[in-house]
Formats: sequence, C-alpha cells, structure tokens
Amino acid sequence: MVSRCATVCLRIFVGLVVAIATGFSVTANSQSTDDIRDGKVCANCHTNALTVWAGKHGTKGDARAPISVGCAMCHGDPTEHLKSPANAMPSRFSKMASADKNAVCSTCHQGRTRIHWQGSAHERNDVACSSCHKIHTAHDQARDKLTQPDVCFACHKEQRAQINRPSRHPIREGMVACSDCHNPHGSVGPSMVLRDNVNDTCYSCHMEKRGPFVRTHQPVQENCAICHNPHGTTAPNLLRARQPFLCQQCHEPTSHRGNVASLTGTSTGANTMARGCLNCHTNIHGTNNPSNITNERTFRR
Amino acid sequence: MDTRTFRVTGTLTALLAILGPANAAETLAPYGLNTEANAASVGLGYADNDGRRFGEYNGVNKDGVYGLFDFNLVKRDDGTGTWLGLSGRNVGLDNRQLRFEHSRQGNWGYFIEFSQIPRYEPLSITTAVGGIGTPSLTIPAAPTAGSAFDLKTRRDVLGLGFEKFISGNWDLQVRFKNEEKDGSRVFARGTTGAGPAGSFGQFEFTPEPINSTTRQLDVKVNYAGADFQVTGGYYGTMYNNRYSGINFTGGLAGLSTFTPMALPPDNQSHQLSFAGNYGFSETTRGNFKVAYARATQEDAFVTGASVPLSPGIGTNLQGRVDTTLVQAGITSRPMPKLTLLADVRYEDRNDKTPVLFYLTPAASTTDGANEPRSIRTTTGKLEASYALPNAFRLTGGIGYEEKHRNTSPVRIVSYRDTTDEMSYRVELRRMMSDTLTGALSYVHSDRDGSPWVTTTQTGGALGSNLIAPIHLADRKRDKVRLAVNWMPVDPLTLNFLVDEARDDYSSRDGSTIGPMKGKGRNYSVDAGYSFNAQWQATAWYSWNDTQADQTTCVGASAAGVCGAPTYSAKLRNVSDNFGVGLRGKPNSIFEIGADLSYSDIKDEYVQQALAGAPITSLPSVTTKLTRLNLYGKYLLQKNAGVRLDYIYDRYSTDDWTWSTWMYADGSRLRDPNQKVNFVGVSYYYKWQ
Repeated sequence: MVSRCATVCLRIFVGLVVAIATGFSVTANSQSTDDIRDGKVCANCHTNALTVWAGKHGTKGDARAPISVGCAMCHGDPTEHLKSPANAMPSRFSKMASADKNAVCSTCHQGRTRIHWQGSAHERNDVACSSCHKIHTAHDQARDKLTQPDVCFACHKEQRAQINRPSRHPIREGMVACSDCHNPHGSVGPSMVLRDNVNDTCYSCHMEKRGPFVRTHQPVQENCAICHNPHGTTAPNLLRARQPFLCQQCHEPTSHRGNVASLTGTSTGANTMARGCLNCHTNIHGTNNPSNITNERTFRR
Repeated sequence: MDTRTFRVTGTLTALLAILGPANAAETLAPYGLNTEANAASVGLGYADNDGRRFGEYNGVNKDGVYGLFDFNLVKRDDGTGTWLGLSGRNVGLDNRQLRFEHSRQGNWGYFIEFSQIPRYEPLSITTAVGGIGTPSLTIPAAPTAGSAFDLKTRRDVLGLGFEKFISGNWDLQVRFKNEEKDGSRVFARGTTGAGPAGSFGQFEFTPEPINSTTRQLDVKVNYAGADFQVTGGYYGTMYNNRYSGINFTGGLAGLSTFTPMALPPDNQSHQLSFAGNYGFSETTRGNFKVAYARATQEDAFVTGASVPLSPGIGTNLQGRVDTTLVQAGITSRPMPKLTLLADVRYEDRNDKTPVLFYLTPAASTTDGANEPRSIRTTTGKLEASYALPNAFRLTGGIGYEEKHRNTSPVRIVSYRDTTDEMSYRVELRRMMSDTLTGALSYVHSDRDGSPWVTTTQTGGALGSNLIAPIHLADRKRDKVRLAVNWMPVDPLTLNFLVDEARDDYSSRDGSTIGPMKGKGRNYSVDAGYSFNAQWQATAWYSWNDTQADQTTCVGASAAGVCGAPTYSAKLRNVSDNFGVGLRGKPNSIFEIGADLSYSDIKDEYVQQALAGAPITSLPSVTTKLTRLNLYGKYLLQKNAGVRLDYIYDRYSTDDWTWSTWMYADGSRLRDPNQKVNFVGVSYYYKWQ
C-alpha cells in the first residue's frame, strides 16, 4: 500500500515538476501547460502523438495512466526539446537500446505474465516491447487474435509458411493466436509455451489426450511435439512425417513394422494409405480399454 | 446453393440501445483518432464453389450466400475511467466471436466472451455407415456404395473473466472457460487379414462421436511492486466425455470382437503455483516458480461381452500423475558491458497409477501390466554476453538437459533410462544501428544417455534391439542462424534470414538401422517499401526444406535379426512460399488493398534397398495453395462507406493417400482439389 501510494505520488510529483518546468517555456511560447501535458503541442510535429490517448494510456480516470502526467511519463522532460527540436527528448525511443525501452514500459507493466521476462528468449534477443506492441495507436495488432500472427511472423518466418500447410490450426481465421500457446513475455516452459511444458499447453484444448490410460504410448506422455508440428504440416493431423515413416523412427522392424510403404499393400501392408498405421492402431494416443485380450496393448480397441 | 440468413437489424438496434451512438461518439471524440472502435459493418458474401479447405474453419465450405457482420463498440467514461466494450467478429459465419467487457481501469473489470470454432472435415466422404455422430454405429457387412456425408466438429467456447485491483499493489484475476465440443471426426477400426474385393483389408470406417466438455479455472493473486512481483494461484482443468466407447452393429466377422472401442476417458487436474521476480539491485534480478499439480483419471472402464477383464483390476484405472516443478533464474550486469544469466529448472512427472496385470497370461512382448510413464527433467543454462565496440555484442552460453524416464521389465520398443544433452551457443549481434541490425548464431548440441535397456521377451529370450528411437537416440545437432535487418534507403526495409540445422543420429551398437540424419533449412527475404504516406507495399519469399534419412528392414525376427531387404527412406518436405501485399489510398475517399500468398510444397518419399531385393519407392506429392485477397473501401460520407472484398482460394494436390482407398464397408474418402471465388459487399458505419 505504502509502495503504491509512493509510486502515485512520485508520478504526480514528476508531472508537477514537468508542468512547472515547461510552464516557463509555455509562457514564452504561448503554449498552455495542459496542451503540453496532453500532447497537443507535440502533435504539431509528431502527427501520431495523440493516438496514444485513445487507449488505456489515455484514461484520465486512472491515476496510474500516463495521461495524468503526459508525454513526459514515457519520453521524459520535454523542456529542452520544446526550446529547440535539435535537443532530443530524454527518452527517444527510436535511438534507444531495447533494454532501455523496456525499462520505460516496465516502470508500470511488471508482474503477472511478465514475471519471467528476464532471461526469456525474447529478452535475450533484444526484443523490445515496441517491437511487437504499437503504443501510439488505438488498435494494437499484437493484442488482436486476427492480426497477432503477422506481428510474430516478422521474425518467425518458418512458422509463417507453415500455417498455410494443409494440416494446420485455425490461425489464419483468427480463432487461434500464437499467444494461445506461447507467452511472448517468458515462461518456464520450452519455447516459451504458455503453460509449464508442451503437453500441458496442448491439453488446454486437447484434454482428451491427457489420460493417463490403461495403455499409454510413451512419446505421447512425454512430449506431443515428438510426433506433431503444431504450426502446420502437409502430413495429416499435424504429424511431422507420414506413416509408416514416423512410426518406424522408433519401432523395431519385427512383425509388420518394417514393411515397405506401398500404394498397393493390403492388410498390414496398407501402412501408408488412408490413416496408415492408424488403420488398426486407431487409439494411438492411448486407450483406456482394459480388455484382457492377447496383444490388446496396441491401441486397437 | 446454400443460402444463409441472419437477423441483423434487431441485433444492431439492441447494441445501439446499450451503447448508443451518442455515447460512443463521446468516447474518444476529444481526439477523434480512434478509427477502429465504434464501427459496424454489415453485408453479404457469395462463394461460387464448394471449398472444403477454404471453409474448413469458417464454415464457408459450400457455394452460396453468407452473412457478413462485424462490430466493435467502445465507450470510455474519462471521469471514472470506466470502459464498456462490445465486439463481434464474423457474426454471420460459423466462426463467430462475441465479447462484452466492462471495467473501471485500475480498479475492477469483467468480461464475457463466446466463440465458435468449427472444423469441417476437408475430405469428402461417401459412406453407408449408420449412426454417425452417435456412439452406436451400424457397419455394412459388405462394401456398400452409401451417400455423401460431411463430418464436422464444433467447439462452443464460453469465457468469463474478472479482475480486481486491491490496495497495496495486489490484484486478483479469475478466468473461467467452458468449452462444449460436438460432432464427429474421421476414425476407423481394423485388424489383419484380407478384406472384401476392392478394399485394402479388414478396415472399417467408424467416425468417432464427440460430445464432451472441457473446463478450465485459473485464479491468480498477483503483487506488483517496484522491485518485487509475485503471482500465486490455482489452475484447474476438467474433461468430461459423454461417450465412453463406440458400440458396433454389423461389420466384418473378423472385427466382431472390436466392440466397444474405448473413447477418451474423463480426467481432471489441479495445480497450485507460486512465481516471483525480485530485483536484488539495479543490475541484478531473479525469478522463480514452484508448482505442484495432480492429474487424475478415474473414469469407469467400458464394459461389454467383448471386454473380458483380468481379475483384480477394479472398475477404473485409478490413474494419478503428480507433477512438481521448481525453477529459478537470475540475470545480472556486474559490469556495464557484461550480462550474465543462469537458470535451472526441475520437473518431476510422477505417474503414480497402480501397476496391475490387465493381460493374463502375458504375451511375448508384454508382461500384461499397464505402463505408467514417469519422467524427470532437469535443465540448466548459463550465458554470458559482452558488449563490444560499434554496438556489437558477443554472447556465449551452455545448456544442459537431462531426462530420466521409468521403464518396464518387458518392452517392444527400445529404451534407455536417461538421456542428457549439452548444448553450446555463441552469437554475435549488432544491437542497434540506424540502418543495420543483425545476429549470427551457432549452436552445437550433443545428446547421449545411459546404456540401452536390453529388450527381452516374457520368456526371457532376447527381444529385438535394433532401433534407437528418435527422441532417445544419441544425436549431434548443429544450427546456424543469420538474421539481418537492413534499411538501405529510408522508405525501403529489407530482412534476411538464413537458418540451417543438421542432425546426426547414432544407431544402437551393432545395428545399422534407425534414424540416421536430419536437416532443416529456412531461407527468407522480406521487403517493405513505403512509396509515400498513401501507398505501401510488402513482399516476402521463404524457402523451407526439411529432410529425414532413416533406415529399417523388413521382417526382423523376434530376436531382432533383420530380414530382407534392409532399406533407407529419404523423406523430404521442400517448399517455395511467397507473399505480396499492397495498401493504398489513391484519394481521400478510396482505399484499396491486395494480398497474394502462394505455397508450392513437395513431399518426397524415396525408398531404396540397401541390401536384398530392390523395392518400389513412392511417388512424390505436390501441393499448391494460392490465396488472393483484394479489398476496396469507398467512403460515402465522412463516417460511412462500402467495402468490396474478393478472395480467390485454390488448393490442388496429387496426394495419393485416399485416391484409391476403399474401406471394407464401402466407405470412400477423397481429397478434392478446390477453386473458390468469394465476393463480399458490406456497408460500414463509424460513430464519431
């Protein structure tokens, strides 16, 4: 409580200092303090400046919002800049290192889903908040499911191609976004997955695969990504490879498992047509069928 | 012709009654800059052809007329900081999304949202199977022609959220999601043996009925101070499947005992977690997370005359998996130019499901017991980064991952208890420049593990010990990545990416088969050009190539002596992809846009005998996808206009997966090519 009050008081104090400081030049330039605080003076040159107030940053009813202090809250004291444009603003984002930009944002935006930002792949690769988020706009592409993937694809080119594969998630339609599976602000899971590991992330939509089952398939329990590429494939069901090749990457070639893939094979030879090995082993993620039937551990019932 | 209608007028009137154009106009009127909020559009679209791929996730899969309706209404009361929002997207289509939110910024807020995610099976289906969509299927005993049937599933997702900021930098977040999934999907049953003439064996088309509920509850209490932030909470999930199994009537005699087939069982999980971030000083921060989860599965077993049970197994699995997670990391800048990172993570997935003998007597490759899967993963990372002159930065790091898995006394797949992987990373990065930034990185990793468990059969005889499974095998991996962003002249930006990875797998001692090599290459170039404030263009090209080289053999003995032939399979997926985009405003009342994307994907399956008689390879599969989006917006008045959309979507493939296939019951699935032209006309209005 004390800390929060102190933060608010500090911001108000900074605002007053800026207002008072700029007031002198305002007088000289016939610019009102309010106009400077609200950015209207800034907008004379920076045409997009005012769009920032269309969003949460511009809510006057929230004492924490930057509009309570004005542009100075993020960009620093404008006094010298107002005297002459040649004097750069203290926080000139276009010239700042990513860490310095992020430090400005993290003055307010800390905690919650950003707790693991430090040390995350994005932090270590110099990704700035402004690399993905557009601040001076009412519509931040990164926060819209339909447009968010394009933000991510600016760097993740391989995934841009993969989401157009025949087997894919409904990403193009805006029904699934990158942030449904990844936390771009950092997580404890690999590849910044949303939950603590790959499988728990997948289970948030595909909970029927969790089990545990009477008959479990080891790689299914370990990591869905051993067999699936969630970003898109030409093989059906987001599989990394067509059957039987995928299955032959693990399974011993005894019995029919080493059979050559064929377009004309029948019975166990029909291992690449239709559903491939799943023509028989249909419950491949595991089955809870307890049948006491010889060989009934192979996901057929 | 599939004509769809929707009631727009009443809905729109209701929306305006809630928010009102006058109020909406007040929202951001002082700045008059919000062009996205407080707008609605209504119109009609027409598809000239069936497009099973085009409409897979939006329902526009048949020729016909579709409703187009979107809105986004936002009201802000500046005095109190209160927001009121109501939005709808694709309201006239099957993938509609609706959201209502109300909040007092920095104080409290709640939302309710609803969305539908349809999936229309892109394969065309002709079948005589009866009862599709129910857990009781009737299967023809002989091939029967049947009729066209469209499989689909739909998820109806209801989301609720609430948050409350509490004094002292504390806040509470509650999220709840309820998802109802209904429909049916491609599924089948099969066994060995010859099938009827024209079929490929004893395989029957048995679409899986889906009628399930998924629920998630996420409750978090957060604290965000200047130097210390924590979050702790509960995450619970629940899966309820109304169908425990599929029962069959009819079908082949050879499959008569394959009923019921079990469907996914109910299961649930509960997790408690606590995470935090602490700033030890201006230059040093640490974070951590601890979590404990329990997942259980106690759904009653399927029963029936064809489900004989081993004594003593009870009526359900009593499945239970406890997962413990501990993570801690620290980043520090002990000197202005030096940054250090250390991170360690431990996750113990402990499968405590009772081990019982479900199969008696045992078969040769199983002792009859179920096989709980436990896995303990420990990862660590150390990294140092040093700033060099001219804005260069050099980074070096090492990573370690160890996975320890449980195993069973009798196995059919090769196995090892532990794998461990060391990785070494070096990167040179130019952090910032007016015109050029980039990074060149190299990662080498080396995975090996404990000795392979010698697979034995129940009688004690040696089993087959030939394959090192791809996720357990010794592997050396090298990855190189170069990314460059360049702005040669002010309105032109270029982006280059070269990414190449090579895997080299080792076989088990004495074996020459299994995964051999892997390769992945991705080359991309992007360009953006701004002609002026009114015209911008983008273009990109990506070339992606992934390859896998593996070897196996036909008819190995139970003891793992290869029969003939031994053969290699060289798999390759190579694609050319490009996109072009254009945005323009020729004048103050006209706006146009165009996006073209194209993918040409080739899958190769080259099988070649290495020893023994020659074998027949498989033909390659080529898939081409083209999509052209054009739109034009014409302003009729200051805040209203018409929009014309045109989409051309083409999918073509010579995939042979289903091309000759017929199930024993006569069902046929096909993957048709498609070419769809879609035209949409809508009227949009903005409250300003």
